[in-house]
Amino acid sequence: MLCIGCRTCMIGCVVAHEGKHIFEVDPDGYDFHPKLKVIKTFNVSVPVQCKHCEAPACMAACKSDAIHIVNGTVIIRTEKCIGCKSCAEACPFGAIQMVTLGSARNADGAPRSVANKCDLCQDQPKGPACLRVCPTAALRLVKEEDLGQTLKNKRLATLGLALGAEAQKQAAIGA
Amino acid sequence: MTETYIAIDQNLCTGCQECTKVCPNLAIEGLPHQPQKTNPDKCVRCGQCVQKCKSYVSIAEHGAAAYARVRKERGLPDAFKEPLFAAHFFSRIDEVKKALADPDLFTVVQCAPAVRVAIAEDFGAPLGTLAAGKLAAALRRIGFDKVFDTNFAADVTIMEEGSELIDRVKKGGVLPMFTSCCPAWVRYLELNYPGQRQHLSTCKSPQQMEGALFKTYGAKLLNVPPKKLYSVSVMPCTCKQSESARPEMKDSGQRDVDVVLTTRELAWLIKDLGIDFQALPDEKYDSPLGDYTGAAEIFGVSGGVMEAALRTGYELLTGQPIPAVDVTAVRGTNGFRHADVQVGDLTLKVGVVTGLKHVKPVMEDLKAGRLDLHFVEVMTCPEGCISGGGQPKLICDTDAGEAFGNRVAATYEHDRGLPLRKSHENPSVQKLYADFLKKPLGHESHKLLHTTYCGDPKHH
Amino acid sequence: MPSEFGLFVSTDIAKCSGCKACEMACFQSHNIKRNNVGKTVGTISVPVTPKLYVTVIETASMPVQCKHCENSPCKAVCQQKAISRVGSQIIVDEAKCIGCKDCLMACPFGAIALLPFYVGGRQAPQADSSGGKVAASKCDLCYEDPEGPACVRVCPNEALRLTDVNEERKKKNIAAAEALAVINAGDPGRRALS
Repeated sequence: MLCIGCRTCMIGCVVAHEGKHIFEVDPDGYDFHPKLKVIKTFNVSVPVQCKHCEAPACMAACKSDAIHIVNGTVIIRTEKCIGCKSCAEACPFGAIQMVTLGSARNADGAPRSVANKCDLCQDQPKGPACLRVCPTAALRLVKEEDLGQTLKNKRLATLGLALGAEAQKQAAIGA
Repeated sequence: MTETYIAIDQNLCTGCQECTKVCPNLAIEGLPHQPQKTNPDKCVRCGQCVQKCKSYVSIAEHGAAAYARVRKERGLPDAFKEPLFAAHFFSRIDEVKKALADPDLFTVVQCAPAVRVAIAEDFGAPLGTLAAGKLAAALRRIGFDKVFDTNFAADVTIMEEGSELIDRVKKGGVLPMFTSCCPAWVRYLELNYPGQRQHLSTCKSPQQMEGALFKTYGAKLLNVPPKKLYSVSVMPCTCKQSESARPEMKDSGQRDVDVVLTTRELAWLIKDLGIDFQALPDEKYDSPLGDYTGAAEIFGVSGGVMEAALRTGYELLTGQPIPAVDVTAVRGTNGFRHADVQVGDLTLKVGVVTGLKHVKPVMEDLKAGRLDLHFVEVMTCPEGCISGGGQPKLICDTDAGEAFGNRVAATYEHDRGLPLRKSHENPSVQKLYADFLKKPLGHESHKLLHTTYCGDPKHH
Repeated sequence: MPSEFGLFVSTDIAKCSGCKACEMACFQSHNIKRNNVGKTVGTISVPVTPKLYVTVIETASMPVQCKHCENSPCKAVCQQKAISRVGSQIIVDEAKCIGCKDCLMACPFGAIALLPFYVGGRQAPQADSSGGKVAASKCDLCYEDPEGPACVRVCPNEALRLTDVNEERKKKNIAAAEALAVINAGDPGRRALS
């Protein structure tokens, strides 16, 4: 439980996606739309963000072909988004938030609102900004190979425990 | 057997199976999301599926021409503008119109008590508006030669059924005795509990008593040959037509009731003839076969037959008037309720079942010898006839509580407002016995007003 | 209560039986004043024209209805300006609709139908022809009804609910955060670090 709920990840996310020095420009001059959100409950504080599901419910719900999987990352192409909210409704984690853009308007001049969620900073050469800026190193990128290694480690540990238990049992019988 | 009472249109049914949840005899068969079928051998024709069904002929789904086609298939007049639903009853409007147009026929009509607390709803009146007077006026405008009332026969039913109960109690007859006014209940019992048939009262329903009296006593009073008398009945019920077609129901020498319309069909007929129902004045039913007491009116609500029977039975047994005319102990909407009523020295144990789904445990208790009651009223529909399958259909079922509650309240209000509230006090009923029947359970009564339900239910 | 983004009615498909009670209630709610529809079927004298469309296949059913999109294609294509945003909702003004069907074509959900438009028990005349008026018909969330969407109220299976994505997201976020707490607790590598 390293997260201290400081929300630096949210700011890092905005900086990475806006590409602006946000502390030096007019607050109305950029969109403050973090793609992850720090949630604080009685038990925990933690950023909630997209899990990049293998069978994404959001993608299945999208009628305007705006959600795709690109290199294992679930991406929203916001220029295609009609703002129907189906993906936000479908996501079981609440990882998609509807946001109103200051930078773009609809053809009829009305404000443009789109679905917004984590894209793993696909355009950032150094990878996800949130985990780079986290002061307590509470975040990490889980890769497929990492997941495999983690599972292997867990299984080895399980086997180790079983061996220990068996040795205890034998010792008890011997005694 | 081909179904001629209730059916589900295979082209319209979405297979939602909401109807199967209200069918009391598991007579609707089919897979989810596929069209359902009624099994005519099991259907008790209560019409609750017709009330439930919301799957209508839709312009968006079935096209612009579908509505007129289905309306024609169902023999409904062009003035009919209501939505058409998958679950429906077969309309007899055409038969009635033919009879009304036939100069050789003398048409008489009777109306059940529940019709007058509901029909105005189909003309935009608030749910449960009492329209007894407008109803009589409408029937006269339609062209019926005499506008009589099932309520008269309901008072006669109390004389006969009350006497039968006292007879069974005093002489050690088969008890408990069950009411036989509700044809869907009679059919349910025939289909599922044929061995318990002797528990049914031998009384015909008020509709059939009135029909038998029309073509005998009535024909003499009107000086019309019974063969020329055409007898129409308006009922809140989709089962009454099949009751009138039973082979037992010809004791006047012909079919006692020629045709039955539902409350909704009567509203269609009124609209088809361009009658402005809400603008009609209040008129009276024709005497003597249209004279009635408050006891008859409450036949339309659950517990009403029981209450009417107690109002008269008390006096018949003790010689004293019942201390409180309102027998609230038997009122209510619970599926099965029972009460002990002190009648002189006798503690009369009575039960009331409303909603046929609640009758099964009662019947199982009866079979096992555990049902310690003298008299049981059974009505098929959720809150008695006021919630019948032929009553005005609600657009939203969420209004059912208000509709049924208001119809029940209007029924009791009508009862309270009538000068006479006990069947045996009806002077026209007294005259019927003095001049024609002689006495309850007498020879003529036995011939005309009682029956043995003997037919195989599969064949009628 | 006004919400930032358009509310809409969503369906729990596992609960929907496809009974069309929602369609009947929708039609009733919009025609009480316009066509004197009362509480019983007998008071209906005009074709039933709902604003949501129950769709049934062999394995499932649901009423398809408007999602009140934020960048509504229907609104974008309507040359008559008959479709507008009222508060957060997308509303069709039938009086302005000329029946061009562009919105039907633009809506990716099939949530709009072109249906006869009746007033006072009669089909209104089409503005520029002798024919009867037809107009785009789609969910308006019963915005004129103080009790809210009629479909939600009458569903016998409680399959429909009025959805505010912002509110639902907050609840789902909390559940997701609690789940992450459990995951972290079961991760020995993490435990060692902290």
